[in-house]
Parts: sequence; structure tokens; C-alpha cells
Amino acid sequence: MNERGAVGGFEVLPFGLLVFVAGTLLLTNAWAVIDGKLAASAAAREATRAFVESTGDAESAALAAATSAIEGHGRDPERMELTWDVGPDLRRCSVNTIVVRYRVPTFTVPFIGAFGSGVIETTGRHTEIVDPYRSGLDLDGFDPETCHA
Amino acid sequence: MREHERGSVLALMPVAVLVFIVLGSMAVDASLAFLGEREVANLASAVANDAATQGIDVVRYYGTGELVIDPVRVREVADAAIARSGLDHLEGLTIETDVVGDSVVVRVRAQVRSLFSRALPGGLELREVAASAQATAERG
Repeated sequence: MNERGAVGGFEVLPFGLLVFVAGTLLLTNAWAVIDGKLAASAAAREATRAFVESTGDAESAALAAATSAIEGHGRDPERMELTWDVGPDLRRCSVNTIVVRYRVPTFTVPFIGAFGSGVIETTGRHTEIVDPYRSGLDLDGFDPETCHA
Repeated sequence: MREHERGSVLALMPVAVLVFIVLGSMAVDASLAFLGEREVANLASAVANDAATQGIDVVRYYGTGELVIDPVRVREVADAAIARSGLDHLEGLTIETDVVGDSVVVRVRAQVRSLFSRALPGGLELREVAASAQATAERG
């Protein structure tokens, strides 16, 4: 007689456990993708800033800044890819857009399946204009009046 | 706990699990809003930085030595920045610019679409995010 309630509710435990496992995996995947996009976005910004302010090997500086930003977010730089949407062009007033792609590995969720064949690519993009009045760049042919956005 | 209530504790297990998942989904949506806020903050700082230099009235500067920022030029820089920002996933992206002396103040607003919250009763579908940045033109 004492076990009546237990018999009536016991069968929902596996269901609850399954919902818990699937739900947790789904949320973990979503979190990982958002975190990957945050890292990619930060990497794109740091890379573009490093490029437009560089005085030496600007492209290497951009790559190093992006790698450092990805590592700073606790992510694997091997999964990162840096490309130029506009540029590279280190002249006064030139527009430079860097796109950082980061491949986020995902779990297969029971009942729902895998997302993007197990890998979701997140993208971060940032644009900067080279300061027309900065030091360290060639002045030949530069006319500030023609420097339009 | 009374003896006859033992069964109801088991029945509450899936409800508790659903509550945890709803809380988790709210956390994911909050991080999505944080991501959107970082994106508009990055845009605001980049626009302020670009506008503070590109907005300088060059003719007046070379003519009189006075450092004046042209609000029309600043607006053009901001509009061009929005066009190439690539933030198409944000709803209602707007940018306001203001010139205060030799400084440019940029305010960016947008709305972030929720991932899970819109499926919940009373959940927000769009969250407002905003950021502002200021840059000052100085003689180097």
C-alpha cells in the first residue's frame, strides 16, 4: 500500500532523463556556436585594428592578433580561417574588411540529430579605414580632400 | 514528507527538468543578446574612430588652422559603415552621429532576434541592444 505513488510515477523518470540529456546537449551546442561567433567577431576586430595601425608586416600582425584573440577566448586557432573581404590595402583612407571564420564542432543530439554535419561555421567580420593622418605611411599622391568613406 | 506523497515527487522530475532547460535557453538567449551588443559596440567604436579623422574639414584646417569636424561628412562615414558592416542578422540597425566640438559621438541601436525565448509563452522575440562611442580628433 505504501508503494502506490512510486508505481504511478516511476515510468516518467526515464522520460525526464531523456528530455534532460537531449535538452542539455541542444543548449550546449547553441552555447558553443554563440561563443564561437563571439570569438570570431573579436578576432576579426583585433585583426583589422592591428592591420590598419601596423607599421611593419601588417598582414602578419593581423593574423597574429586574430590568433591571439581566438586563444584568449579559449578556442583552438587551428579551426580559425582569416580572409580579406576588402583589402589588404595599407594606404591612407583605404577600407579593409577582415572576415574570420571559426568551425565549431557540435554534438549529435538524440531525437534531433547532428547540426551541420557535426561542424558549424561561425563568422566574424570587421571593417576599418586606415587613418588618413597617421604616421608611417607614404604621402605620395595622397590628397585628404579626396578621402571619402 | 508524508507517506502518501512519495509518488508525486517522482512525477515532478520531468517538470523540474523542463524548468532547467527553460532556464538554460534563457541563458543562451542572454548570451545571444550579449553578442549583439558586442557587435554594435564594435561598430560604434569603429565608426567614431573613422569619423573623427575623415570628418575633419580639411579646407578650413589648412586655411585657418582650426580643427573643425563636418557633421555632414561624419554622417556619410556612418552611412557607409552601416552599408558594409555585414550585420544583416540584426533587426532595425540604426546609427546616430553627433559632433561636439572636436569629438564625434556615435550611438548604435539594433534588435537581436531570440533563439529559444520566442517559443516560450511571454518570451521576448526581439531584444534591444545599444552602444555608444566617442572619439576626439587631436593634433599629433
